[in-house]
Amino acid sequence: MSLRTALRQQYDIIGSLQPATHVPQNWNYEIPSSLYRAYMHPPHDVGGQRDVPVQYEEKEEEQWELNTYVTCEVLGWRGMWSAEERRRRADNDLGYTLYLGMPYYGRWIWAAARMLVDKNHISLTELLEKIAEVKSRHERKESSESSQKGRQHARPF
Amino acid sequence: MKEKKAPKAAKKADSTPARFKVGDHVRVKDLPNMFYSRTQIYARGVSGTIAARTYQDLIPEDEAFNRDGRLEQYYIVRFRQKDLWEEYPSEKDTLQTEFPDRWLEPV
Repeated sequence: MSLRTALRQQYDIIGSLQPATHVPQNWNYEIPSSLYRAYMHPPHDVGGQRDVPVQYEEKEEEQWELNTYVTCEVLGWRGMWSAEERRRRADNDLGYTLYLGMPYYGRWIWAAARMLVDKNHISLTELLEKIAEVKSRHERKESSESSQKGRQHARPF
Repeated sequence: MKEKKAPKAAKKADSTPARFKVGDHVRVKDLPNMFYSRTQIYARGVSGTIAARTYQDLIPEDEAFNRDGRLEQYYIVRFRQKDLWEEYPSEKDTLQTEFPDRWLEPV
């Protein structure tokens, strides 16, 4: 995040994700029970809520999604978590922004990483350094591929 | 990778006897929501009929936090759609969904 314009854009995106109901003070003690129940509502309990019509499409899993599924199952076989704990972490614990914004298997792999850190199987520092290492390896690979092709890729973001 | 087991609360072998049989009238409890649940809010406080006994299993609120807990009987409960959604157009349609024993009370 070295570019100040990129930082400003990041703040704008974060601002756009904030909930419509936003209490700036931290001492909003007068929460009516109906609002409290809404705060406590598990995001995956969607039955009965109003929604717009959705176009359903047949879609096969991507390779990373299959890998995620297998990884999460293997973590179950090794006794790291149960299917219900996975559901709790990948559905309930994410909160609405991530639950509604991330792809289904994106939530799974996020929840697996969170579980491994929560249960002290890996440290957050190890995880962050590994992600940074893999990211820079990919960037080096991409830049060497694009220089071989003699042109610059248009990056998706 | 460190081997560190989560604490286990009780043996899986414990199980509570089934309280209901097919045809019994039951109401879904209206417990508060906090941290995790699989009991839909549209069914809470609504009465229905036991359509089937299914299997014994842990309850989601225990299993979601890796507590072994007690095994409980699960049931398929049949509701009248009209009882769930008063504006529902047909008297005859029903909806079936599943609950463990502790989420139900006799009517």
